[in-house]
Formats: sequence, structure tokens, C-alpha cells
Amino acid sequence: MKLFKKKNDLYLSDKQPLTLMGKIGLLVTYAILISWSIIILWPLYQMVLSAFNGDQGQYLMLNSTFTFSYDHFKYLFEETLYLTWVKNTIFIAVSTSLLTLLFVSFTGFAYSRYRFKGRKASLMAIMLIQTIPTFAGITAYFTMHSIIASISPAFTRQMMLILIYSAGGIAGNTFILKGYLDSISTELDDAARIDGCSSMKVYRLIIMPIAKPMLAIIALWSFIGPFMDYLLPRVLLTSPESYTLAAGLFTLINDFRTLNQPAFAAGGLLTAVPIVILFIALQKQLVSGLSKGSVKG
Amino acid sequence: MSLIKEKIFRKGGRNLAKYNEFLYDEIGNSYERKNQYLKEVAILESKIEDASGSEKSTLKEELKSLKANKKQHKYMVALEAFFDKEKAFKTDLRNKVKSFRNSQKGKYSNKVLKLKIDLLKSQEELSFYKKYTDLSYEATLTYEESLIKCEQLAEIIEFVLKNEKALSDAKAEEKTIQDSDEKRIQASYDAFKLEQKEKFKLDYIALKQKKKDGLISDKALKNGRVELKKKMQEALSVKSFESKKKSNKEMIRSLKYQLNKGTKREITVMNSNISDLRRKTPVESKKKQAIIAYLTFLIPGLGQVLNGQARKSVLFFMLSIFVYFAAIPYALGFGNYQGTGISGLLSLAEGGKKIDRSLIFMIEGIVAVYLVLFVVAILFISFRDVKNVEQSKIKGIREKNWFETWSNVTEEGFPYMVSLPALVAIVFIVLVPITTAILLSFTNMDPSHQNKFMWIGIDNYKMIALGEGVAGGPFWKILGWTVMWTAFATTAAIAVGFILALLTNNERVKGKVFFRSVYILPWAVPAFITIMFFSIMFSPKGALTEILNNIIQTDSLIVVKNDPFWSRLTLIGLQAWLGSAYVFLLSTGVLQGIPADLYEAAQIDGATAWQKLKRITLPIVLFQTAPLLIGQYTFNFNNFSIIYLFNGGGPFNPTKYGNLAGSTDLLISYIYKLTTENDYQAIGAAITIVISMGLMLFAFIGFKNSKAFKEEKL
Repeated sequence: MKLFKKKNDLYLSDKQPLTLMGKIGLLVTYAILISWSIIILWPLYQMVLSAFNGDQGQYLMLNSTFTFSYDHFKYLFEETLYLTWVKNTIFIAVSTSLLTLLFVSFTGFAYSRYRFKGRKASLMAIMLIQTIPTFAGITAYFTMHSIIASISPAFTRQMMLILIYSAGGIAGNTFILKGYLDSISTELDDAARIDGCSSMKVYRLIIMPIAKPMLAIIALWSFIGPFMDYLLPRVLLTSPESYTLAAGLFTLINDFRTLNQPAFAAGGLLTAVPIVILFIALQKQLVSGLSKGSVKG
Repeated sequence: MSLIKEKIFRKGGRNLAKYNEFLYDEIGNSYERKNQYLKEVAILESKIEDASGSEKSTLKEELKSLKANKKQHKYMVALEAFFDKEKAFKTDLRNKVKSFRNSQKGKYSNKVLKLKIDLLKSQEELSFYKKYTDLSYEATLTYEESLIKCEQLAEIIEFVLKNEKALSDAKAEEKTIQDSDEKRIQASYDAFKLEQKEKFKLDYIALKQKKKDGLISDKALKNGRVELKKKMQEALSVKSFESKKKSNKEMIRSLKYQLNKGTKREITVMNSNISDLRRKTPVESKKKQAIIAYLTFLIPGLGQVLNGQARKSVLFFMLSIFVYFAAIPYALGFGNYQGTGISGLLSLAEGGKKIDRSLIFMIEGIVAVYLVLFVVAILFISFRDVKNVEQSKIKGIREKNWFETWSNVTEEGFPYMVSLPALVAIVFIVLVPITTAILLSFTNMDPSHQNKFMWIGIDNYKMIALGEGVAGGPFWKILGWTVMWTAFATTAAIAVGFILALLTNNERVKGKVFFRSVYILPWAVPAFITIMFFSIMFSPKGALTEILNNIIQTDSLIVVKNDPFWSRLTLIGLQAWLGSAYVFLLSTGVLQGIPADLYEAAQIDGATAWQKLKRITLPIVLFQTAPLLIGQYTFNFNNFSIIYLFNGGGPFNPTKYGNLAGSTDLLISYIYKLTTENDYQAIGAAITIVISMGLMLFAFIGFKNSKAFKEEKL
């Protein structure tokens, strides 16, 4: 009995007991962590609030009274082209990620597993070209589109956008995939080659299954890209019917004819929620993709 | 000895002006020449090289007479005779094949007939060339090739015939299957199924009982159930093949597969045997130097034909078609949309029609230049290919046949083939626009020269450097702010993110999951949404403006968006808010990966918390995330969306920044305004080029020093 009682007084931890300074330090730590949480959560909370606040007109009234309503969502769906923008964005995002995968799965494989002439030079070249902002091409993109479109009218501005996104992503994503494949030993493909697999078969039967996790991350990144990008859609797409979400939602706050800030908050909320869920669920994989690619070079 | 051999081998490769005594294959094995005339010439030539004085001249005389009497040379006579006979043999063979084909038509399937004809040919060749194997390597090769073919083709034919027979049997059987039989079998199958199910149930109950008695565990019960189920399915599937219809169908499928893939595999085996033989049998060429390559380099494909690689040449002829029917006409101005090919680059539509636009001329010119580069590459590749094959042939290495070429293309050429689409995409989507921007920066494309502009040299760069003109004026001021912005905003974000990661990683802090989930929110919510929302909140009547004014009581109201200083400060704060999440995520990952024993060791040695941070944590985190952190700096240098979406670069201050830029404009948003809103494309392009050069230099240094790149083997 006595033994058990004594146990309660024992300090049962492999950490050292906190000194007074340590306790104060811990308190300060908590204070910082909580205050930064508030700094992050408050604006987001305001956004959610204003998306549901029926007591607003065209402008956001953050400190006014609150009445719960779905009016802004209704406005968003009925008065604006929100659904069209969603559709456009998803179309562009899906095509971009598929096209990127097609390009990159091959180039990543080639750069990781083959030592061919011009490999190092081309690696360096892509690396450098990558640093030039997409901006550099804007003037040309516009004219190039009008040239191609006059030859084949089926070539829309959205397709141009898809091509720009996926071709622009080749360089960086090749690096990421190459880094990932480099970290996997070549034993499997060697064995397959000894068993008589051609390069194409090695690619299809060995490399694709191995690279699946990284390909998924690349696909995800290229999928999210068009959701986040504002600049290129703004420049290239000219009619509200062809806008992506970013360009479309911006018209709700900067164009006097369509100004409706609460509807923007509602639209932003709807767009953000799935992406936030995606990011939080996959944060580890997304970050590992990033760091693998860059550290491995 | 091997050294000498090596030397000769090398010589044969480089100094081709004379004949070699021996022939060599790819790995340097030497072979005796069979062409006695050439052998004598070679021996004499090498003697001349070694000899001196009078001896040399007599030897030269000898060589001359040998060459003059080439036709009378014993070997050459024999060779001529062989050629004549070979010709006769070939016409004879053709007739034989024809009659054989006619006589056997209808007896066999096309596949077998083709194989049989091949077999006949090789049998005939076998007996004809046998006599001449000593005469020339060509005859040797054909002889041995036909030896392999005779043996393996016979096997393949047998294989195909057997399978075809089995297939036709199976098909015949298909017709004899009677529905009544099928029905009976189906009924018995159903009965069997019921029986099996019953058995499964009983077994399972027995298993359950065992579990109840405590003999087996839960897991064993589960596995046992799976096992029983598998057993039942197997029994059922075996039983199902009692149905003739089903087994017959399966049979036909398997036979068809055998016929198709199996035959292909056998033929591949035969082809690889032949290619082994080709590698071991040298070729004798009368040539001393590669001439074809130089004569035919303008027409890819022709040289390959002359080298005896007919099917390979088809590929190159296709490239020829691209060169002469697409690329070069385009470069000359045919088939252009509006421009005039490369010449359009010089003229830039000067003096053209009213609707002609200089920009279109420029872009089409650039496309033409890239097409010409492709042409040069194609011509060079073809030239090198022809030359290599020719030189190898002179050395003794036989040219590759189609089977070998194809496997070469799909193996060694694989990286090139699969990167080609990416290359084309990069050239047209990335390089052409960038080149356009570079060239544009040397023109005067501005609001008054939209349709037609011309070359003006480096005036734009001069304007930027001196800060002159409407567009170039504010350049240095904007650059200053851009650099300041990059330094402060990125460093703030990194500092905040890192400190948060460090604090959250403290083992005594509870609620880690909550904090971590909250801290990555700024990264997860699309930036344009948060930026736009902050922009609304900082508007004159916005919530944050009010809060700010409550905190800082001054005489006049602070309106962030109208005050350059506050705008800048807010932007930096906002970027810290946005960017910290990413840094937080990265450093958390690294922090969690640091092994705990490092800290324990430090603890034992008496290190303080600060020392541990400075000597362990910081170096590890910085080392691992450095490239990404550097990436953050370049990202912020070009962070267009935060500037443009927050306040459009404002507030505007025309006396300081001119009419085009605001006081928070970065270079990138300034370029955007110049090119898309104010039509100063040329100056915009010049600024783009300047900052791209800077960024490239930055990236180059970082990349060159990265360990990963140094370790790359070529």
C-alpha cells in the first residue's frame, strides 16, 4: 500500500522537471502560438461570416449585425457564371494535369535512367529557362493564339492556356520525378531488362507503378495550379464565359457592373473548402514532393 | 601485342587514306582479309610506310603495277566469276520461288507460305554459297545466315503448322457441340455448385465450432473462411470447364495467342541470332574514305540507301519530306499566315499592307528560325549516321540491318524518342515566346507603333539604364522597392514560419495537431482569395482599417491603400502571413526528422537550449531547405498576384512614379501594366529580359553549387 502511495509523488517523466524560467518560457510559447492562430483564423472566420451574412448589400459589412442566410450563394449561382467558371477551371485543370503527366512521366524516366548525350547540358538549360517568368511570353502568346486560331478555329484560348501550363510545367516536374526515381535503386528495371523487357515495357510495367506516388503528386500540383493562377487567365481569356474561377471571382470585386463583395466571399469559400481539405489531407505527400525534387536536383 | 592491335585499330579509325591489312569488328577483334588483292595492297602500303630510301621507291613501283593489273589479279578474276554465277543464281532463285508459290498456293495460310518461301530461299542459298565461303565475307555471311534460317525456320513452320492444326480442330469441334449436351452439363454444374455451397457451409460451421471451443483465434477463423471460399471457387472453375463450349472457347483464345505472339517471339530469337552473326562477320569495303556522307548530306535517306540500309532510309526520307516540304518552304515564306518566313524578321512588315502586323511577322520569323534549326539538326544527324556507318564499314564493321537498327532506336534512342514531344512543346510554347520577348526589346513597339514597328537597337535598354522616358523613368525606383520587398517579405515569412515550427515542435506543447492544421491554412486557401479578401478589409471603410485606426490614434485617419508607407508595410505583413505557412510546413518536416540522440548527446555534454538551437537545429534545417528558401526569394521577386490583387500597385503618385506605375508596383506588375494595359510592349520586354538575366544568374550560381548537380555523371 505504501509503495503505491509513494508512486504518486514520484516525478514520472523522462523530461527534466521545469524550472521557473522554463515555465515562463512555455507560457510565452503558448501565448505566441495562440495569438498567431488568432491572426490566421480571424480573417478566415470573417470570410465565412460574411459569406453567410444576409445583412449586406453589394459591400461587405464586417462589423454590422448578422443574419444567417444563403442569399449570397443564391446570387452566386443564379446571377453570376460561377458554375461555368467551375466547369472551365476543372476542364483546364484536368487537361493540364493529364498532359503534364504524359510529358513528364517519359522525360523523368529518360533523365533518371539513361545517360545520353546532351543530358547535363539540357538539364542546365531547362533549369535556367524555368527561371524566366511566364510573363515574358505574354505578348507572343496573344499573337500566337490568333495565328493558330485563324488556321484552325477549334483552337480556343483555353486550349492555349492548357498548353502553356503543361509545357511550362515540364521542366520543374521533370526534375521532381527524376529526383524521385533516382532515389529508387535500378535493381527492378535491371531484372526486368535481363528478363527481356524493352525500354517501353520497363516504363510501363516497372517505372509507372513505382512512380505512382510521385506522379500523383505531380498531377495534383498541376491540377491545383489553374485554380490558383490569376494572371494568365486574366490576360488570355477575354469573355466571362471562358473565365476560370480566379479571373471570374475577381470580376465580383473590381468591376462596378458586377460588384458584389459578399458573393465573392461566398464563391471564395466554396472554392477554398475542397482545396483546403485536399491540402490538409495530403500535406505530407505534397511537401515531400516539393523537397524531393529540389534537394535531389 | 594487344597494345599494337589497339594502335592499328585506332589508325584504321582515323587515318583512312590507306587500306588496313586486317578487318576489325566493334570490339576490336581482328579478321584476315578474304579479298587477296586488297590484302596485298594493304601489306605493300604498310611496307612503304616503314621502308626508307630506295626500297620505298621500288615498293611504290610494285604497288603501282599491282594496282594497274587489278583486273588480272587471280582473286579478282575469281570474284568476278562468283558475281556472274551469283547473278544467275539469283534469277534462278526468283523463278523457283515463283513456281513454288504458285504450286503451294491455297495449301497453306499466308503466314506459313511466307515462311516456307523464306525456308526455300535459305536452303538454296545454303547450297550455293557453301562453295564460296572462302572467297568473300559476303558469301560467308549469307551461308551462315541461311544455316541459321534453315534450322530455325523449319522449327517455326512446324510450330505454326501445329498450332494452326490445333486451332482448326478446335474450331471444327466448336460446330459439333450440341445444345442438349451443354444443357445437361449446365444442369450438372448447377447441382455441383449447390453441393459445393453446402459443403462450404458445413466446413464453415465446423470452423466456427472450433473457434467457440477456443481452439483457433479470430484471425484464423477469418483466414479459414477465405481459404474455404477460394477452394470452392477453384472447384467450381475446374468444373465449369467441363462445358465444352467454354473450354473450347478458352482453347481457341490460347491458340490464337500462341500463333500470334509465339511466332513473333520465335522470329525475334532467329533475328537476334542473325544479328549476332552479323556482328562477328566483318565486311570488306573497297572504299578508303567516307564519301557518300559528304555527297548525300543534303538529302537524308539517300545515304542510308547507298549504305544498304533500305528500311532505315524510309525513316530518313520522311524527315527529308519534312525538311523540303514543310520547314524550308515555311522559312522562305510559303505557307505563312501573314509573314514572310525568316526575311520577315528583318523587314518586320515594313512597307507591307495596312493589315500586316509587325508582331506576326516577327513571330513567324522566329518559328521559321526554329524550324531551320530543326532542319540543321536533322541534316547533321543523318550526315553523322551515314558517315559512321561508312567509316565502320571501311574498318570492317558490318552495317546494321533493320532488326538491329530498330532495337537500337528503341533502346539507345529511347530517351530521345520519348523526350521529343516535350522538346517540341517547350520549343513552341516556351522558347518561341521568350525569343519573341528578347527580339521585341530591340524594337520600338509602343502605343503609337502597335501595328508596325521597327528595329531600334538597344535604345530601350539605354532608356531603362538612364531612367528616361515615360516607361523607363520609374525603373530604378521600382527596382529598389522590388529588392526591398523581396528581402523583407521573404525574410519575414521565413522567420515567422521557422519560429512557429520551432515552438510547435517543443515536446511539452500540447495540441500540436490543432496548431499545425491552423498554421497551414494560409497555404491551403488559394492565395488570390485571401489577398482579395484582405484587400476588401483594408478598403477605406473596411474592418481592418478601423481596427488599425483604433490602435494607432493619430490626428488624421490612416487609409492603408492611400498611403505608400502603410501599403508597403501591410503588403509585407500580408506576405509574411501567406508565406509563413509554407516555410512552417517545410521546417516542421525537417525538424521531425532530426534524430533525438543528437540532442541527447548535446544535453549530456552540457549544452544550453540556445547552443542546441544554434549548433544542431539551425544548420540542419537550413541545409535541407536552402534551395526551397532561395526559391521563395525568386518567387517573391516575381510575386505578381499579391501586388496586383491587393491594390493594383497603388497608391499612385504621378510626380514620383509617372502615370504608369504605383508606389507598390514590383517590376513584374509594372511589366504587366506596360505590356497589357498601356501597350509599351518593347520596354516591357526589355525589363523582362533584364530581370530574367538577373534571376538566371542567381539560379545558375545556386544550381551549379548544389551537391546534386556536381554529383551528376555525364
